Amino acid sequence: MSEIRVLIVDDSSVMRKIVERALRQAGLGSLVVVEAATGADGLEVLKKQQVQLILSDINMPMMDGLEFLRQIRAQNLAAGVPVVMITTESSEEHVKQAILSGAQGYIRKPFTAEQVKERVLPLLTAA
Amino acid sequence: MVLNGIRMGAGRWSGAPKEMESSMAHSLRENLSLVSDPHNLDHSVDEVFNMMLGAACELIPPTIIEDAETITAVVGFGGVLSGACVFRSGGATALNIAAKLTGMEFDHLDDTVKDAIGEICNMLAGAWKGKVPGLSANCGLSIPAVITGRNYEIHVQAPEFRLHHTYRFDDSVFEVTIICDGLQ
Repeated sequence: MSEIRVLIVDDSSVMRKIVERALRQAGLGSLVVVEAATGADGLEVLKKQQVQLILSDINMPMMDGLEFLRQIRAQNLAAGVPVVMITTESSEEHVKQAILSGAQGYIRKPFTAEQVKERVLPLLTAA
Repeated sequence: MVLNGIRMGAGRWSGAPKEMESSMAHSLRENLSLVSDPHNLDHSVDEVFNMMLGAACELIPPTIIEDAETITAVVGFGGVLSGACVFRSGGATALNIAAKLTGMEFDHLDDTVKDAIGEICNMLAGAWKGKVPGLSANCGLSIPAVITGRNYEIHVQAPEFRLHHTYRFDDSVFEVTIICDGLQ
């Protein structure tokens, strides 16, 4: 698999590092990780760079992950790029909201690197 | 610290219709023993620490945390249940947790350590409410708040219930408290 550019959006710098480490442990190939601490920063990244995968927290201040997702679609950014939401929320209702907002995958915290691989790999292969 | 301010900030996800919240609250009240089951807290701690830190935690009798500096993280619950999940440890334990979580080394309670402890509390709160049927979808979580210092206490007036457990992994001791100050 050639270079994969991934955008990780999370207000927690620690969680961004943990997600990056899990992606690297998953052995997805050559990763280039771009980080954004807010949904607004994430949108700015997507205006300037192409990525192959977006991983976003949901529960963030100012612009939550679902609004970030809606803005991606509304601004026609990252067309066809899979988005995976990462959150502590895990009820069917929350998953449904994420999918309705345009997410292709959902990872519940806490997670293992293996779980990240299971969720992410099929999306990258399909893309 | 009064939890009402946190409660107002939580509930981002509490988008359930009012009648649904009311009916859920009714059943939660009827099943208070299920909501306040102490095993749910132990299982949540196991899950978070095993998966994120590779650490096995042991439930121990209440222990006084004597570190000069302590750290407390609070994540509020809002919706059909209001209250908070509170994590508290001494500085050394916080450094150990942050190191295991990030793979980095720390020598003082810097912003990264505070961030790590806030995330641990966030995951504990999410895992705990996810174990109570009917609570997961109808109770939101606030953004974590983290406090460091000495000799401070968290006061809640007449909670509906309170779970307070102390755990140990390696030589690190920490407390997790679930406070429910309202079932609507």
